[in-house]
Amino acid sequence: MSVERLFLDALAEQATEVPGSRSRLLAAASARRRPAPAGPAWAAPYAGRVAAMDALLASAARWDEEIVEGWNLRELVAHLAAKDSLLAAAVGASVLGPPIGVDEALARTRELQEYGQDRPVDETRRIWREQADLLCARLAEVDPDRVVQPGGVPFAVRDHVLARMLETWIHTDDAAKVAGVRLPLPIATHVHPTADFCVRLVPWTMLLSGFEATTRSVRLTLTGSGGGDWYMPLDVAHVAGAYQGETTDVSLTCDVTAFCFLLGGRGDGFTWEVAGDQALATDLLTAAPALSGP
Amino acid sequence: MEAPVADDRLLHQRVVGGDEDALGEIYDRYAALIFGLVARVTRDRAVAEDIAQEVFVTFWERPLAFDPDRGSLRAWLATIAHRRAVDHVRSEERRKATVLGPRVYEPPAELAETVLDADEALRVRAAVVALPDGLRQVIELAYYGGRTYRQVAEDLGIPEGTAKTRIRLGLRKLAESLGER
Repeated sequence: MSVERLFLDALAEQATEVPGSRSRLLAAASARRRPAPAGPAWAAPYAGRVAAMDALLASAARWDEEIVEGWNLRELVAHLAAKDSLLAAAVGASVLGPPIGVDEALARTRELQEYGQDRPVDETRRIWREQADLLCARLAEVDPDRVVQPGGVPFAVRDHVLARMLETWIHTDDAAKVAGVRLPLPIATHVHPTADFCVRLVPWTMLLSGFEATTRSVRLTLTGSGGGDWYMPLDVAHVAGAYQGETTDVSLTCDVTAFCFLLGGRGDGFTWEVAGDQALATDLLTAAPALSGP
Repeated sequence: MEAPVADDRLLHQRVVGGDEDALGEIYDRYAALIFGLVARVTRDRAVAEDIAQEVFVTFWERPLAFDPDRGSLRAWLATIAHRRAVDHVRSEERRKATVLGPRVYEPPAELAETVLDADEALRVRAAVVALPDGLRQVIELAYYGGRTYRQVAEDLGIPEGTAKTRIRLGLRKLAESLGER
């Protein structure tokens, strides 16, 4: 290895001639694998995960292996396309594949899974990818703070897009694990807004799980690239923000990716450091996956 | 010089996330080296340009084949480049053999599937031995001894800047002697 490094360093000292051109390379590259869908900056975290899933699919050897929820890779991609298409419809983008029969995630998933059943897997992959491109292009013309209700869930468009980022990330990770591929993390500027969205979901998970904690508050420190420090009142009437020295019932510290995955229903082996009210920490952990669907 | 591991990791994350600018940065950083490496093997500029481009496109198309925990991006690109260049030379040799007939044409010795085949590695080692003492010493410490610039400077009791200058001079001399083949 040392001789190889020496050889390359020596060649690099001498190499001055750059072959071809950058623009020729980029044109050739994007013809072979599409870059992330073009859209507004606030949708970039989602667009990045679409590109990562596409990269995984580019080298997918097996489409019939079960990944998660009893779905194989084709059915999983159909599920992502289904949820993307409900958001697309809600913001006025074109919908690909069969028209939406029922505006509900699992019903739409079944529609697209059945549609793809007797067609080549590339057709499901194409619908998913082109749907993501159409959605991102449309988002450039949409007010990110407008509240829409795809599948009956009311959020600002901005947050729906972060939810799509999280779900695409988690399912790409599911598929990568089955394929034995190591998936690198999204960049910090894509992780951070997704983590912030997850933090803002926490009071809702407590409410949905029936825990009475509206007078309580949490300091949450998420470590790792894209993490941060949040002050989180457990009342849905308040929105979590940057921690500024508030006194809280409990302080929790954990890895930012592990936290996002916990909210997304992938909490196996999850741990956090707890300082303060242990019982409240246990309730938070129990409630955390309450909003994660398939 | 090779980029720090953190750079490789971030560029890899960006490429997986479909960021074309990251591929452009990788190209700016390594295109000359990869082209030089391929041209050494193929001895054909136009072919070397095409192969070099294909190396970067391959990385873009299947970025998950690279794992930053297993080695540097530069070494990974160089390995692909070398393999593609060798494949090209082999298929050219096979074509010539078919045209000229097997008895007239003598195929070259087997080319190894690494950046450096055994002969080339020996040539690198021999070129190091042939360096003037002052340069040989710093190169041996930095590469065979795995010492940093600062450690090399400390070992030899010279300023760090001097160690750096000598290493670069040594690398340039090595490249010159490796070029004379």
